[in-house]
Order: sequence, then C-alpha cells, then structure tokens
Amino acid sequence: MMTKFWKKSSAKKSVIPKPISFGELFKKGDSLTKLQYFVMGSNNIAKKQVPKGLFFLGVEILFFYWLVSNGIHAIAMLKTLGTKSQGWKYDKTLGIQIQQAGDNSMLLLLFGIAALLAIVLFIYVYWTNFKSNRKLYTLAKEGHKIPSTMQDIRSLFDEKFHITLMAIPIVGVLAFTVLPLLYMISIAFTSYDHNHLPPKNLFHWVGFTNFGSVINGDISSTFFPVLTWTIVWAVVATATTFFGGILLALLLNAKPLRGKKFWRIIFMITMAVPQFVSLLLMANLFNDSGPINALLLNLGWIKTAIPFLTNGMLAKLTIIVVNMWIGIPVTMLVATGIIQNLPQDQIEAATIDGANTFQIFRKITFPQIVFVMAPALIQQFIGNINNFNVIYLLTGGYPSNSTFYSAGETDLLVTWLYKLTVDSADYNLASVIGILIFILSAVFSLFAYKKTNSYQNGGMA
Amino acid sequence: MVQIDLEHIYKEYPKSDHYAVMDFDLHIQDKEFIVFVGPSGCGKSTTLRMIAGLEDISKGDLKINGEVVNDLPSKDRDIAMVFQSYALYPHISVYENMAFGLRLRKYSKADIDARVKEAAEILGLTEFLERRPADLSGGQRQRVALGRAIVRDAPIFLMDEPLSNLDAKLRVSMRAEIAKLHQRLNTTTIYVTHDQTEAMTMADRVVVMSVGKIQQVGTPAEIYDHPKNQFVASFIGSPSMNFFNVTYEDGRIHNEKGLNLQVPEGRAKVLENNGYNGKQIVFGIRPEDIHTENSFLQSWPDQVVNAKVVVSELLGATSQLYAQMGDEEFVATVDARDFHNPGEEVAMGFDINKAHFFDVDTTEAI
Amino acid sequence: MAQRTSTHSRATQKRHRSIWINLLTAVLAIVWILPIVWIVLTSFRAEGGAFVQYFVPKSYTFQNYVTLFNNPDFPFLQWFLNTLMVSAVTCVISTLIIIAMAYSLSRLRFKFRGPFLKIALVLNMFPGFMSMIAIYYILKAMNLTQSLVALILVYSSGAALGFYIAKGFFDTIPMALDESAMIDGATKFQIFTKITLPLSKPIVVYTALMAFMAPWMDFIFAKIILGDAIHKYTTAIGLYSMMTKTTQNSLFMTFTAGCVVIAIPITILFIFMQRYYVEGITSGAVKG
Repeated sequence: MMTKFWKKSSAKKSVIPKPISFGELFKKGDSLTKLQYFVMGSNNIAKKQVPKGLFFLGVEILFFYWLVSNGIHAIAMLKTLGTKSQGWKYDKTLGIQIQQAGDNSMLLLLFGIAALLAIVLFIYVYWTNFKSNRKLYTLAKEGHKIPSTMQDIRSLFDEKFHITLMAIPIVGVLAFTVLPLLYMISIAFTSYDHNHLPPKNLFHWVGFTNFGSVINGDISSTFFPVLTWTIVWAVVATATTFFGGILLALLLNAKPLRGKKFWRIIFMITMAVPQFVSLLLMANLFNDSGPINALLLNLGWIKTAIPFLTNGMLAKLTIIVVNMWIGIPVTMLVATGIIQNLPQDQIEAATIDGANTFQIFRKITFPQIVFVMAPALIQQFIGNINNFNVIYLLTGGYPSNSTFYSAGETDLLVTWLYKLTVDSADYNLASVIGILIFILSAVFSLFAYKKTNSYQNGGMA
Repeated sequence: MVQIDLEHIYKEYPKSDHYAVMDFDLHIQDKEFIVFVGPSGCGKSTTLRMIAGLEDISKGDLKINGEVVNDLPSKDRDIAMVFQSYALYPHISVYENMAFGLRLRKYSKADIDARVKEAAEILGLTEFLERRPADLSGGQRQRVALGRAIVRDAPIFLMDEPLSNLDAKLRVSMRAEIAKLHQRLNTTTIYVTHDQTEAMTMADRVVVMSVGKIQQVGTPAEIYDHPKNQFVASFIGSPSMNFFNVTYEDGRIHNEKGLNLQVPEGRAKVLENNGYNGKQIVFGIRPEDIHTENSFLQSWPDQVVNAKVVVSELLGATSQLYAQMGDEEFVATVDARDFHNPGEEVAMGFDINKAHFFDVDTTEAI
Repeated sequence: MAQRTSTHSRATQKRHRSIWINLLTAVLAIVWILPIVWIVLTSFRAEGGAFVQYFVPKSYTFQNYVTLFNNPDFPFLQWFLNTLMVSAVTCVISTLIIIAMAYSLSRLRFKFRGPFLKIALVLNMFPGFMSMIAIYYILKAMNLTQSLVALILVYSSGAALGFYIAKGFFDTIPMALDESAMIDGATKFQIFTKITLPLSKPIVVYTALMAFMAPWMDFIFAKIILGDAIHKYTTAIGLYSMMTKTTQNSLFMTFTAGCVVIAIPITILFIFMQRYYVEGITSGAVKG
C-alpha cells in the first residue's frame, strides 16, 4: 500500500546464479576435467575420490561391454521383433530338413525395452558423473577443499539421505512396475494374440489397429457393454458403500444405542475376514442350490430357485449387495472416526438456531464427512473400477453371453482383461483394455481432484 | 565475541514473482539484542531462517565472525533457536529435550547433567525435568524451549515469535524474563516478532521490515521519534499515528475538512527549503500528541481544531477518542479525566512540535 | 395441562426412537454376522456336501479340521507355513521400503521429489495385474518362477508405490521438530531415527500389519507365479484350489475349516490395529 512490492522484473530478472552448463564446462575445464567426459570417474580418481571414480568407471566399462555384446542387438531387434520364424528348414550341406529355433518376439520385445531402460539408467549415471565433475571444478575455482570419500559417505546420511532411502525401492519399481508396464503398453501396438503366440509364431508392430478393433471394430460390441457395466458398477458400488457406511456410523453413534463398542466389533469382524473367504462363501450362499434358496423354498415363499448368480441382471444386483456387505463396515469405521472428532460448537450453534437432527446432518455433519473423505472416495472409485476380486470370486464374470468376445455378463474391464490374457491369450487386446482403464481412471481422478480441491478451498475460506 | 554481517542478502522462491527478502544489509555487534519487526509476510522470519541455515540464501553473503557461512549446514553454525511452536520433542522428557543437542555433540555425561540442571535452575524448571512436554503448561513449555537454547551456550540465539502462542498476561511476564535472561547471559540475540510492543521494550536495535525490505534500523527511541517513512510511523506505536493529507502554504498546513494549523518556524523552514511550499504533503501526528485539556487549548489557540467524537473508550488511566473531522477519522489518546461521550463536539489541540511530515509520493519523512 | 401431555408424548417418542435404533442395529448386526457364523458352523458340520438345505448342522465333528491338516493332496500345514514365511519376510521388507519412501517424500527436500510424486500417481493408475504377464517373464528370466522368493520380490517391490498413507502421517508431524533437531546438531539420519520414528509408532505398526496381511489375502499374483507347484502354494490359492468343480463337494467343509483357521489370527490382528487403520486413512485423507 505504502511501500511498493519489489517485483523481480523491476530488479533485473532472478538473482540465483545458474550453474555452468555442460558445454561450457568442457570449454573452461582443464585436461582432467575434459578427460572425465570420456573416461568416467577419471577426474574423481585423480582428485582422490577413488571409490566414487571407480564406480563411474566400472559402470562405463560394464555398460559398453553389455552394449557391444548384447545391447545393440537387443535394440536393433526392437524394430522388427524377429524375422526368423520357428520351423523346418532345408540345410544344403547336410541335405536334410533341420529344425530352426526362430526368434521369440515376446522375449525380443522384453529385452529390447529392458535395453532402453538400461540406456536411460546409464545416461542418468553419466549425468551424475558430469555433476560430480562440475562440483570438482567449482570447488577448485572457489578454493574449497574437495570432500573425502568419508565425507561423501557421511553426506549420504545427511543432506543426501533421500538417496540412501530411495535407491533400492526405486530399482524395485523400475524392475517390477515400470518395465512390465512399458512392455504391456508396447504389446498393445503389436499383433500378439492367439494366432501369433511365441515362440511358435512371430508377432509384429501393427500400430493402432488393436485400438481400432476395440473401439470401432469387431471387439467393440463387447467393449462398450462391458465399459458401461464397469462405470455403472463403480458408481453404484462406491455410492452404496459410502452412504451405507455413513448411515451405519450415525446409527452406531446414536445416543440411545447401548453397547456401542460391542456392535462396532461385530461389524469389524466382517472386515477382518479375508476377502476371498467371504466372497467364496457368498458365492456358495447365493448358489442356485445354496442355503438361501433352500431356505426360501422350504419356507414355501418361492417355487423355483432364484438365479441369484446365473441370471445376468440378478447377478449384477447380487454383486452390488454383496459388495455392500463387504464395503459398508470399512466406510463405517472411517466415518465413525470423523464423526467423533467433529467440532461440537457448530452443531450446538445449529441446534440453538433451531435446526432439527436431519437438517444438522445434511448441512453440517455430512458435508464435513465428505470433505475429509473426498480423496479416499476418489481412491475407492478407482479401486472399484479395478475391483477384480469381487467379480472373479463371486461370479467369475458369468453368466456367459454369446454375443460377447471372451467375456460374460458381469465381467468388468479388469476381469475381461484377465480372461483375455489367461483364457484366450489375446495379449494385445488385453493391453489395449489396460490402457483404456488407465485413461478412464486418470481422466476421472483428474476431474475429481480438481473438483474437490476447489470445493475444499472454498470450504476452508 | 561474535559478529554477524548480513551483506545485501536476497531470498527468492522459485515460481514467485517477487523477492521474499531484498537487499537486506545489517551488521550485528556482539551481545546486541536485535528485533526484526514487521507485519506478517514481510520477510522477517525468512531472514531469521536464512541466518539459521534453514533456508538457502539466494544472493549476498552471510558472515559470522567474518567468515562466509552461506553453505554451512545449521548444525555447524553454532546457533541456538527458539521456535514459535516451541518444537519440543514430544516423546522424551524435559531433561532429555534439553540434553538432546548436547548428546549429539558428544558432551560428557557429567557435563550434560550440570548444564541441564543449571538451565533448569535459571528457568525454574527443576521439578519438571522428568515430565513430558505434553504435561506442561504453555508457559512451562516456553521455558523448556528457552532452556534447550541456553544449555548449549551457543554464542547466537535466534528466536522466531517465541511469545505469540502465549496468552496476553503470560506474554508480558515472559517478555520481562527473556530480557532478564539476556542481561544475565549477554548472548547476541536476534528476535523476530510482529508485535511492536515487544520490539520496543526488548530491543537494543529494532529492524522494521515490510514487503521484503528493511524500512529502518535504529534504537527504539529513534524509531519512535524519527520514523524514516510513513510505514514505520504507522507500524510503530499503538494506536497508530494519524495521517492527514494537507497542503503546506506559507507556514500553515490546511485541508478542506477544517484542519488549519500553524507550523513552528523551524519545521516550516525545512519544508520550504525542500520546495514543498504550496504542495501536498502528509501530516502525521500520534494520538498521544493530541490534547483536550484546557491548559493546552489556551496556550496554543492556533493549533486547535473542532471534531466530533464517534466512539470513546475508557482504558483506566487514559481514554481513547475516535473522532471525526469532516469525514476524516482520527484517534486521540487523552487523560481519563477528559472523557467525552460519543456525539460531543470537542475542541482538540494538535501538538505540532511533535508532528511528522511525509512526501506524498515517496512516503519518506521530510 | 397441555404442557404435561406434550412432555409426556415427547418422552414416549424418545423411548420409541430408542427401541427402533436398538432393534435396527441388532437386525443389521445379524445380517452381517450370519455368514460368518454359518461358515464356523459349517466347518464343524459332520454330514452332507457343499450344498445343504439348512443353516444349522445336524451333527458336529472335528473331522474337517483333522482332514484339513492330513490331506496329502492339499497340504494345508505346508501352505500355512509358506504363507507365514512369505508374509513375515514381506512384512519386514515392505515396512522398511514404505517408511523409507514415505519419509523421504514427506520430510526431505530434493529436486526429484515433485516429479516423482506425479510419476507415482500415474503408475498407480494402471491396473496392477495388467503387467502381471510381463512380471512372470521377468521372474522367469531370473529363474525365480514357482518360488516363494518371487512372491516376496513382487509383494515388496509393489510396496514402493504404496507410501501414500504413511506419507500422510509424516506430513502431520510439524516440520519445526526437524528444524529444531537440525539446529541441535542432528544429521538427517539422526532426525529420522531419534525424532521421526519414535513419533511414528502408529503408522509403523499399521504399515507392518497391512504388509503382513497382504500375502494371506492376495491370490491372483500368487496363482500366476506359482502355477501348479502345489507345495509352494499360499493358503489363499491353496484353499481356492479346493473349490474346483470336482473337489468342491467333497472338500467344502474342509475348506471352511481352513477359512476359519486363517481368519482367526487375521481377525485378532485386525481388531488390535483398527485404531491405526482409521488414523492412517483419515490422516492420509485430510492431507490428500
């Protein structure tokens, strides 16, 4: 107001000095600095950082050895995914047919992607090597001492502690999450289906053909019904468990209820039973000749067994009901935690203003629960899109539908994906489905996070 | 002996379009008690955290005893710090809280024990040594935080709004206690607060900051009596100084709201020499320099205005009159005996010898 | 007079409400607990196969439990020990990994932090077993398929991206504590071990228990990796393998006995840790 804000623009750009660039260092550095560009770690070794230097050098030697012996081949093969198919071939010198092993497209693809990852990793190490070189240069220029190996190790437990903590987990993520994902994403662009199964047959890059056949081709008549049911399921399953859970929590926190703890534990026990147990059990209970049907028949309420799990529409209903049985206690437990911690003064203020119980719930309690649980709710929705267990264990996707390709009435995208890989070996289609599920989840959560953020910010202000 | 030099220090956060701290230049002597004061967001805490090593310095040099320590980690700067939230370790006893830093620095057991017990003695914490922080009152936690700083015998204390979590009464007594502690230990202290009373009562020198820049550095008296610009004038003092936009003409200042006062000769000369004759200036006067007692009104009839009291607050020894002249409001702090009810028309005398004049554009004092 | 009837009717109204609430709770509790009671009863049922016409068994026996532990085709004890081994090792490794990741991403500041959080979010959105075929071949390349080591590897490496709840917890510990310790002379490692970890017992317990329970629950990865190596099975796939079309009828009661045996320890663990469960979910949720 009285003193003006000191904008950066009015004071010539940023004051943070930029570190010397890759090319610049090469121009300005001495011969040892230059050498490090080609022989990794050489400058470190010369400046008595022997283990560090040896590490860089070792990585470089190993990398180039691997590149020559394996890597170049692996990357080259990525282009064609193999040319020699398995089969019999006439050998002129022997004059007989001999068996030719052929290329395994699947392994070629896997190794090719692994090779690309290895190159990325090497570039990262090379960049670290450059940064270390730069550090040596700036330290020398400013007349500081070069840290000893001991000091380097100590820094791994202090300012570089995150490297110590995260190095191993990240290697695990690369090997068991990133690599498989890249591989599966690539498969979506190949002809890897039941007609092209390695090692017997080769498969090839086919571009977006698979996406075409899922969205617009012969698979689309399965895809869209399954997609619709997946979305309906995710919305209904999330909503029923969420509202059910909150209502149950309110019920269990109602003042007149006696033995609150006891009731809570009863509902918690159902959460603790492993899901596959309770689901297999439910499948048995709702079987055409299971106890529920038997009971109803005995009571004479029905004449023939209700096809809880064998009629498409009924099966979908049953799945949602069973999911409520599983999911409501989870929400209840969390909502109870929130309800018990709600600030009482707002509720008291509302009571004084003359609000009744229902109005208090709708205007005060419920918005606050939604506010706290919104992120968990989004996760639950994504989880339901990917809810493999409930479908697979309860109905296995059945009852079957003759117009569907490799899917049943109750199959979600994920269980269909599973069947496409395990039963019909259409890996390319399965990958396309996987990518579409990802897009679905990503679009939804982006949208939802934006919404809740603005809602939460608005709520806070 | 310790000397801290902050030489043209800048702080910029990435993705921010202005500097959090800009061109901060200050030289702190041994044993000084320096207070950084300013409204929230003025960069005072950021500066303190840069001295502590908790924030990087974007540009400029921080020197401790002549040595540049910009890149030295906090733990090697030999400082002690008291945080606004106290930051006591909740899982260990008061004793262990105080001993924590000493143990990390490998002090001997006997030495640790002696130091902790002495600090506890000074702060009256002896009987609470075995308790957890959660079992202490706010004031006691505050003492533990102080204790944790003094056991180390560090040559520099940094305090980041240490009293702002206490209630008003406790704040006053802790304020006195910290001042006493400083007299006893004589440690160079940098103290950050947004409360100008704390700044005025505790500091050897006050650094007034606003939007990332130092506005003025000086002793409390200097800052109060000779504010360098309108910001300092309005920030220091409670209630704040009243400002009027006026025109200076031939020894008088006036505006169309009914204010028309004679400026003493000395001040008038300064204004004229600086070429303000016939120009707009800002006239500032502190509430306590506005009088309603008859003796003043009679001796200085030339400096009286008529105003209407809008709100009046009786504070015991004094009363505060919120008055209106035209549509311009101002506050006067007068003797409790001169209490006036709202709605009364009152004649008020402005002690123009204590007036402050500011340039309209630069807001600098003239 | 009028006032008295109104207070009187309000009191009855209140009593009615109270009865309804208690009744409704009881009914719901029965709906929820009945399937569990049924499974326990069935595990002691002496007669019949998978499907019988009644809930309460006509006669009781321990034979199902005896069969469970003595069937050479379905070595339940072996499965139990396998699962115990896998979950114990996974529990230790996963907890270390999750706490390390969560701590780094919550408390430490480094350039890669922001991008990593975004990448992790994206990776987490791909359906987990889309990549399971690839994982299978990677493990095969490492010559590890049909082994429990492979299971441990898969479960533990999955942990690296499951840091959100623990991170949410760490985010609630005031940063001033770390800063204060830094000024006291602590290295990041010392802050981690002496300040953060002692304050994080609930989340460590929660993480460890969740990791311990995962191998008892999961069967899809286990099934793919272990294939037909029955002696390497975990209880989940083992029990599931009892429920094929041919064996379902004869082994149903044995199956339920198996379910009871593994549900008991998990239930006890769960009731013990439910406090941490709620804390974990809500603290993570508030912080997003």
